[in-house]
Formats: sequence, structure tokens, C-alpha cells
Amino acid sequence: MRVDPCFFCGRPAWPSKGITFMRNDGKSFRFCRSKCSKNFKMKRNPRKLKWTKAYRKNAGKEMVVDSTLQFAARRNVPVRYNRELVAKTLKAMERISEIRARRERVFYKKRMAGKRARELASARKLVADNEHLLPRLRGSEKRRLAELAAEQRVDVAELEQQELETLRGSKKTNRAFGGEVRRLRVRTDGGVEEISERVAGTVDEGGFEDDDDEDGMDTD
Amino acid sequence: MTWKDIQPVPTAQEFIDIVLSRTQRRLPTQIRAGFKISRIRAFYTRKVKFTQETCSEKFGNIVSSFPMLADQHPFHRDLMNILYDADHFKVALGQVSTAKHLIETISRDYVRLLKYSQSLFQCKQLKRAALGRMATLIKRLKDPLAYLDQVRQHLARLPDINPTTRTLLVAGFPNVGKSSFVRSVTRADTPVEPYAFTTKSLFVGHLDYKYLRYQVIDTPGILDHPLEEMNTIEMQSVTALAHLRAAVCFFIDISEQCGYSLQAQINLFKSIKPLFSNKMVFIVLNKMDLKTIEDLDEEMQIELQNLVKSGDIELLKASCATQDGVQDVKNLVCERLLTERVNQKLKAGTGSNGVIGSRLSEVMSRIHVAQPLNGVTRETFVPEAVKGLKKYDKNDPERRKLARDEEEANGGAGVFNVDLRRDYILDDSSWKYDRVPEIVDGKNVYDYIDPDIDAKLAALEEEEERLEKEGYYDSEEEMEDESEVEVLQKAEYIREKHKLIRNEAQMRKSLKNRAMLPRKAIKKSFSQLEDHLDQLGVDTEDINLRGRAQVRETRGRSMARSRGTTEDPDAMDVDNTLGPRSAKERLRSQSRPRERSMGATNRREDGVTDETARTKAEMVAKLGQRKRNRMAKAGEADRHIGATMPKHLFSGKRTMGKTSRR
Repeated sequence: MRVDPCFFCGRPAWPSKGITFMRNDGKSFRFCRSKCSKNFKMKRNPRKLKWTKAYRKNAGKEMVVDSTLQFAARRNVPVRYNRELVAKTLKAMERISEIRARRERVFYKKRMAGKRARELASARKLVADNEHLLPRLRGSEKRRLAELAAEQRVDVAELEQQELETLRGSKKTNRAFGGEVRRLRVRTDGGVEEISERVAGTVDEGGFEDDDDEDGMDTD
Repeated sequence: MTWKDIQPVPTAQEFIDIVLSRTQRRLPTQIRAGFKISRIRAFYTRKVKFTQETCSEKFGNIVSSFPMLADQHPFHRDLMNILYDADHFKVALGQVSTAKHLIETISRDYVRLLKYSQSLFQCKQLKRAALGRMATLIKRLKDPLAYLDQVRQHLARLPDINPTTRTLLVAGFPNVGKSSFVRSVTRADTPVEPYAFTTKSLFVGHLDYKYLRYQVIDTPGILDHPLEEMNTIEMQSVTALAHLRAAVCFFIDISEQCGYSLQAQINLFKSIKPLFSNKMVFIVLNKMDLKTIEDLDEEMQIELQNLVKSGDIELLKASCATQDGVQDVKNLVCERLLTERVNQKLKAGTGSNGVIGSRLSEVMSRIHVAQPLNGVTRETFVPEAVKGLKKYDKNDPERRKLARDEEEANGGAGVFNVDLRRDYILDDSSWKYDRVPEIVDGKNVYDYIDPDIDAKLAALEEEEERLEKEGYYDSEEEMEDESEVEVLQKAEYIREKHKLIRNEAQMRKSLKNRAMLPRKAIKKSFSQLEDHLDQLGVDTEDINLRGRAQVRETRGRSMARSRGTTEDPDAMDVDNTLGPRSAKERLRSQSRPRERSMGATNRREDGVTDETARTKAEMVAKLGQRKRNRMAKAGEADRHIGATMPKHLFSGKRTMGKTSRR
């Protein structure tokens, strides 16, 4: 039994899952799920569909050139069973996958370098251009505050500022869906760190959306 | 050799008919005396010229379609000479080509004369004369044309003899069995009859020997008399003997059943021997079923042996009646002919000093004879251990024990499984029953199994160390700034706002089957305005107050019904401020139509200065209309109904497009 990569999307296709198509010239196509099979039948090009490994590799989103990727290969030379060799191999597999994960993390970091700066720049521009859209106090509110200030004999501007801040601050809570999110953060040195945070805030959710599987990839 | 498709030669009368009728058919025939003289002249000139061109073309075709004797192979040239008489043939063709020239001259002369003719009649007479003279010339060609057609027919029926290919030539006295031989070795249906000169011309048959095609030529019999006395039939044989590079099979009938003595046949052979120079000659003794050599008297036997003595002549025996030896003769002659020709070719390709010429070497280089396994023979290989093995016999109690026997002894199929792992060949036999994982962490273990995994892993570790040292894995902490967070937050708010605005605009714009209204016409309540201003941070209190104070009576009527005293004093509906009205008045106001809208100007008086100018303009307009009215033409004021079924949309086949749009 083998775990073959899906011909279409490149996910592992486990035994008993998916479907295999045998073309009449003898070439076999293993698909991990009906989605891939259907897309294949529709003659779609996996390199043009964003959700496939082929696309991601082609677009430079995945690590393609690395020595760790050279280890697994279908060798058409049969090797007679040897207990020591298999034991060594199993150990090596573990080590290789560890190194590979580490390198992939670095690869991702390098790919994402400069993203925050770009986003900040665009955000600054947007804010500068659309100042008028930011929340401000209603006319009636201002009037109320002015009356209040006259009553309490305090500065109007101060009151208004206070009110505005609560107004802007309340924006945060608007999007709260509650609950707590737990994230596993893998460090580059190999350690794993658990982080729990409230989803109430939008501190780093704002413009940080990436098409990648961001979870578990964020490094510090 | 394209003699099969020579076009038929018409007789003289047919020729004239063809030419004249073609002139009549292809050219205009209408001419009148009233036409310009130049036109008349051109008409007749064209007639004369066209007739001449047709004649020339036809004659030219005849001359060029017949073979030129000089270009032919000597064999064909001689054969034609014998059959049709070369002189006669040449003269006939010559006459035709002379006639062609003469007709051209006539045409030239008469065209020149036509230039000076003065009337239709003159022109016509000149044309008649020209065509008449041409026809006379053609009539004189009656005999040559008839002769040429005969030749054509005969040529088409001549056998297709290729003078250069492998050829067997069968010759001999009449009635010795030449045709019988050809008939029995080839598929040619040569006539065989028991009288002399059954075969009156050359016949060709083909046979296959060693996948090669041979041409067998059956010749008419020859009598033993001088060349000058030979008739056409015999001369054909002689021509073939003289010119064809072939293996000659001279047939002799020793039974003398043919009516000629053996001595006479031997004499004939001797007399035509000069024709056999540079050729392979075989003497075939035919009709061996009637009489064998041994039956001959000794004198004759010696005579026959003498013929063969010279060495390059062979004596063969056959009997066409019983088919004895016929195939042998064929095979032997073909074999000899083939080797001879190959030798000749090699000799021709090889120079006098034995060097192979370029042409031959080119051929030789293209020939490749493949030898399987480079000529090495591989024997079957049976291992020693197998050789010593006793043959397996199911019924022998001492037989070898098979896995099947073991299975049987332990309860049979389905109960006992043969242990397959027992026979594994491994370095250590204790490994035989190891359980090995196939998949670990979603990876195929077998893909990683590699005899030199150690070295590769070591290399990887080394690389890893190097990278570590180089700082490949180092990462710097990104500090989050308070102001940055704020900016991002604001940007997010703005984006959301943008989305809302866009959404609202789309909702506003979508017509949903309603009419497009100008912005002015869209009703917006005062409260909406107030709210918007409030949102923008403007204090709306003053505006509100002023708006209420200034509420005026609006034009027109409101469809809204007043509810009298239940009215909310703060409401924005201004229609109720009209004050009390009588019930009647209110009702009337609902039934009375709105005032008609009026144009800004009176169009009758537009563009004219005063009354007189207008009157004048009206008069001019009426005047312009008068003629149309008198002729009852449709004017712009008339009622017009366009075609309900426009023709172009309803007629014809519909291949492209639709019925409504074409």
C-alpha cells in the first residue's frame, strides 16, 4: 500500500480514499477526492487553479528546490529487505521531515518579508485620502455635549474628544464574535508555543489576510 | 512507349468537316452589308485565320503524336521499318507537315488580300476562296491520313516489349513448339495450332523467377533461306534476334513432326548464328515424348553434339505436350540469364584496373544484408541442477514435495496457508518475519529506502550545520508600533465604509423595472436631509425651525388626505397648511384636470418677421405642394402603413441568422 500524491491537487491520496483512473495507454491517475477527479474530467489545467500544489509550486509559493526534497523518490530498483537499513531509514525520515519543516518556515518568512511595510503604506494612503469617512460626532451630539459642558462648566473640546474616543473604541467591539482562539506557533528553533487570544480585537486581523494557510506559520 | 494513346487520325473528309464546323461554331456568324467596312474585314479575317489555326493545331498534333523513328530503340525502329515501311511512314508524316505550312501560307496571303477588299461581297468571296483552297489541300491528304490511322491502330496493338529488361527469346522453325513453350511457362495466351505460321507476329508473356519478372518473347517461325527472301513475318523474328539483348532459346524438333527435317533445322541454326553474337544461346530439343536423342541415327547425334561443342551453347530437352523438362528449361535459362546480367553490371561498374566505379559503389553502399546477432549462434541454456533433476511425476510416491502437497496434508485450500515468507532470501534469516511499516507520517517508507542513506543523511546534516552558521535560520522580531496599529485600524474602518457606500449606491441605481428619474424629481423627505446633515456634524436645529416657518402653499394638489385635527404639529407634511377649504372645492379639485402645458413660443409665427412674410411663405408652400397633389402622390401628411411583413425577412432559406435580424 502506498500514499500517492493526487494527480490533480497533489494532496496525499490515502489507500481506500479517492479514485484511480486508468487510461487505455496504461497511465494511471490517482485522485484524492471527487473534486479532483471531476476537475480532471473537465480538462482543467491544475497549474491554473489556485488550490492545487501544482499552481503553488509554479507561482513560487512553495519550496521546490531543496536537498530535503531529494530523499523520497520512487526507485525502480528493488532493494532486498534489511532490518538495519529500514531502521536507519525510519530514523532518517523523521530527521528529514524536521529539517524540511524548518526550512519551509524560513521560506515562508522570506516570501512574506516586506508585506507589513507595504500594507502600512497603503493603509496610510487610504487614511490620508479618506479622512472624511472616519467617524465623527453628530451635530445633535455636539449640541448635547455643549449643553452638558455649559451645565458642568467644563471644556467642550475635552468632552467631545472623550466622546469621539469612545465612539471609535466601540468600533472594536462591534466585530466581536466572542470566544477564545488557540494557536500553535512553531518557532524556527523547533519549539512549539501555544497562544490563546481573544478574537474581540482586530489588532492583527485588519489587513493581514493572506491567501496562505497562515495559521501555524506565523513565526516570531 | 506511349503508342497506346495516340489520338485517332480523322480521314480527309472528316478533317474538313471538323475544321469548318468548328470555325462556324466558335466564331460570330452575323454580318450585314451596312456594317463598317473595317468591321466586315475583321470578321472575315478572323474566319480565315481561325480556320488556319485549327488546321495547324490538328496537323501539329498528328505529327507530334507519332513516334520519331530516329529516337526509338533500334529494335523498335527496325520493327516499325519492317511492319510499316519507314520510308512510307516518314513520307506520310512529311506530307502532313507540308500541308500545315501550305495552309499557313494560304491564310497569310488571303488575310493580306482581305485588307484591301471594299465590300462585304468581296470579303466573302475572298474568305470562300481561302477556305476552299485549304479544303482542297486537306482532300489531297486522303491517303497519308488513312495510312497514318492504320499505323496508329497497329501500333496500339503491338506487344509492349521492353528491350532492356531480362528477356527470353524463343526462336526456331515454324511449328516446332515455340508458342506451346511460351504458353506453358507464362500466362500469355499464345495461339497454338498444328500448322506452320500460326504465330504471325511477336507475342510477349511474363514469368516470375526468384521474385523477378522475366519477359518471354514468342517469335514467328523462320525458314532457312536468305535474308532478302524473308517475308515480313520472318523478318520480325530476325529483328528481335538481332536487337534484343536476351537469352535465345532455339527450338529444334527432332521428331521432324513439324514437317522440316532435322538437318534443315540445324542448317537454319548455323545460318542465323551471326545474330547470336554476345548472347546466351540454348538449344532446346522439343517434343521429347515423341523421339529422344537416343532414337536418332548416330550421324545426326554427332551433328547435334557438334553444335554444342563451341562451349557457350547448351543443349536442353523438353516436351511441351507432357510438360516434361519445361520448368527445368525455364529455371536453367532464367538462372543463367540472371547471373550473366549481374556479372555484366559488375563488370560495367568496375574499371579496367578493378576499381569499383562511383555508380556501382553508390548502389553497393545502399545494400545492407542484415545478419541476426552478428552471426553469433546462441545455444539453449539449461542449468546443471535442472539437468540432474528427476522428472516430476504426480503418481510417483517418491516425487518431490510441492507446496501444494503440504497444503493438502494440512487440511487443504482455505484451511491452511502455505508460508510464503519461509523462502525469503535475506541476509539474516531471523528477519523473515519482521513487520515493516509501509506508511509513516503520511510518507511511503519504501520511497526512502536507499542503500546509501547514511551518506546522504550525513551530507544533509552537514548542510544544515553550515546554514545554521550562516544565520539562515535567524529571524528578527518585528516590533508593533502603537501608531501603526491605529493607522491600520482606521484603514479597516474606511474600507468597510467604502463597501457600505458602494452597496448603497448600487441599491439606489438598480432600477428594478422602474423608470429612470432625474435627481431633481426624486422625492426626499426633510427628515432625511436633516439626518444626513446631523451625521456630518452640522447642527440642524436652526434649519429645522426656519423650514417650518417658511412652509408655503405649494402648487397643485396633494393626493394625501388630510386628517384634520389628528395631525401631528411637528410633521413635515406641508400640504395641510392650506387652511380650511370647503368640501366641494376639495372634491372639484380632484376631478379638474391639470392645466395644459404650453409651448414657449407659437410655432406658426416662428421664423417669420411679420404677417406679410408669413402669407408669402404659406403661398410658396402651397405652390410646391400643388404638383404632387395633382398627381395624387403621397405626401408627408398622408397616412402611411409600413410593410407588415418586410420581404427580406420572410423570404428565402434561413441558414444564417434569425428571422427578425438578417
